[in-house]
Amino acid sequence: MARSDKTLLRRPWRTLVIAAVFAFDSLFGAFAPARAALQVRVDQGVTEPIPLAIPDFLGNPQAGRDIAAVVRADLERSGLFRSLSPASFIEKIVDINTPPRFGDWRTVQAQGLVTGQAVMQPDGRLKVDFRLWDIFGESQMVGLQYMTTPENWRRIAHLVSDSIYERITGEKGYFDTRIVFVAESGPKLNRRKRLAVMDQDGANPVFLTQGDYLVLTPRFNPTAQMIAYMSYIQAKPRVYLFDLETGRQEMLGNFPTMTFSPRFSPDGKSVVMALETNGNSDIYLMDLATRTTKRLTNDPGIDTAPSFSPDGKQITFESNRGGSQQIYVMNADGSNVHRISFGAGKNGTPVWSPRGDLIAFTKITPNYFGVGVMRPDGSGERLLSHGWQDEGPTWAPNGRVIMYTRTLQAGPGGAGGGSQIWSIDITGKNERRVLSPGDASDPAWSPLIQ
Amino acid sequence: MLKRSIIVSGALHVGIIAAATIAWPHALAFPADETPPNIPVDLVTIADVSNVAPTVQEQQKVETPPDEPAPPQPAAAPPPPPEAEVAPPPPDKTPTPKPKEAEQNAVPPAKPALPRRRPQAPQRFDVDTVLALLDKRTPKPVAPPPNAKPAEQTIKGLGDQSALSLDLKDALLAQMRECWNVPVGAPNPEQLIVQVRVFLTQDGSLAQPPQLEPATRAAAATNGYMRTAAEAALRAVNVCEPYKRLPPDKYDAWREIVMTFDPSKMIGR
Repeated sequence: MARSDKTLLRRPWRTLVIAAVFAFDSLFGAFAPARAALQVRVDQGVTEPIPLAIPDFLGNPQAGRDIAAVVRADLERSGLFRSLSPASFIEKIVDINTPPRFGDWRTVQAQGLVTGQAVMQPDGRLKVDFRLWDIFGESQMVGLQYMTTPENWRRIAHLVSDSIYERITGEKGYFDTRIVFVAESGPKLNRRKRLAVMDQDGANPVFLTQGDYLVLTPRFNPTAQMIAYMSYIQAKPRVYLFDLETGRQEMLGNFPTMTFSPRFSPDGKSVVMALETNGNSDIYLMDLATRTTKRLTNDPGIDTAPSFSPDGKQITFESNRGGSQQIYVMNADGSNVHRISFGAGKNGTPVWSPRGDLIAFTKITPNYFGVGVMRPDGSGERLLSHGWQDEGPTWAPNGRVIMYTRTLQAGPGGAGGGSQIWSIDITGKNERRVLSPGDASDPAWSPLIQ
Repeated sequence: MLKRSIIVSGALHVGIIAAATIAWPHALAFPADETPPNIPVDLVTIADVSNVAPTVQEQQKVETPPDEPAPPQPAAAPPPPPEAEVAPPPPDKTPTPKPKEAEQNAVPPAKPALPRRRPQAPQRFDVDTVLALLDKRTPKPVAPPPNAKPAEQTIKGLGDQSALSLDLKDALLAQMRECWNVPVGAPNPEQLIVQVRVFLTQDGSLAQPPQLEPATRAAAATNGYMRTAAEAALRAVNVCEPYKRLPPDKYDAWREIVMTFDPSKMIGR
């Protein structure tokens, strides 16, 4: 009994000691101070091109070199990417179907790697595969394959560029697009102005008219197959349509007076333009199917340069109804007209961004012409470029880049001068000249080719 | 006998609870120099007043002469009129083998976490927080008199924590501003705020791939611009590795970092 009692006495103690240990463990385990993560707010950075490695594509040597060169040029021209020198590459890509040695590409400071191959098929077509690799994530970001006729290799290269651009920036690319513009040549007193189109990188220029008549303000329709422009055919300044597929052109409507400054609606079913009557101009909308017109403005001031919002619900235009040339916005039916530009100088040629967030315009001051952007409510005005005469903005289809005409001031005796096409990012960076055959003006960017 | 055991047991429980109540706040205070208090107001203050010049050397740039785009064809010999170009067929399926899905790349799979306790929600009772609030009302210390003798040992107090926190943040910011390529071209870029959780080893390397915080991850899954912003932030964390400017002896303070990337100040620059 005594023994039994001692045992009983010892057991509760032992139990209690164990319980105490557990109690302390659980107590301090549960309430031990958590190490809070250090909180840091990063609000400064750089806006520099992302370094990409783009070796020549494998397969057909000529096509592989050419396609890679166009891809490199496309991406570099965007200002968002920097193509690393192939001489610095450590790994030689021999098979695009196996993952690269990511460490080697990190060593050369590449953040992305493009591998591809262009192979001629037995049926005469060209097959192009490419992959974009995330060097840090060590994974494939995109991999696509194209088949086309060999003559189409440039378009394939642009499509590859678009895919890379879209995957990294989150926005659609704009490389598989065209520019319609006015090509200028000849002496100043007998200037020849021809309607022309070219790829967005300046390649494949084609003249659509012979230069017998002055042409102005060409604009693409949403399918990039039709162009509306103004021409002085037979000394009658009117708006015309040019069908790129058939080469056929026709006068739009039969107005007794001048029509000008046309632009397609986002659905391509109508054209909004200015019509001059007795020295005054107002904005009209023409239905392309029925050729009926509807007057949208009715004001003694000069209303012109209309441009639809991408949703087709509003139109921005310029008017001097307030005493000076300024930018206005109205509903697509002509109601709710209100002025949005109040900055210094005059403001004109507004063009709504395809993504809807901004309106590009020409700023006119006594000292310079510039191209700027503002929000559709007129806020956030920023001047992106300015020169002796920078004017006439047009948007890339992704709303990220603007092209415009830069007219150079002629020197003493009329030397120099001329007009060029330039482009600039909406951040105000990456301003650069667009190659064109001779002098060029009045560019209009096409949507993505379909 | 049983009664005595119950009494002993009860007394010991009371004793344990009393000991825990007394010892707990002290236990919280012990690692005070390891865990900076997380006071949001302090973050703003630090960002405003600190002005540590970046001393991180710029990354070596590989200069590359840009490839010239193919020159246009001469105007004198214009190509034939444009014909309907044969559009290439829509992209086929991704060539095989397919190593990984691109989408997975945005959020790299997490490697095994560090052998440490995950940060927890703020405790119900945080002595440091209370002291820090009191500390704010305390005037800043004036310069010591000339005859003041330095203490034999530095006392790790709350002020020291703030200074540590400030130094760490400035060191990090100085480095991050060289690596973060800000996506300012997106619409409303000021709204593209990204939070990334970073785990570091003591030598400043990434202990595991940086991770998007849940809110950022959710936004990036549905918004292309947000995904781009998130990927830019992840790239920045990767490009900046290793984080050599962080003091190894304060490793506990920076082993886990939540970086908030806010592009609002970079718009228009």
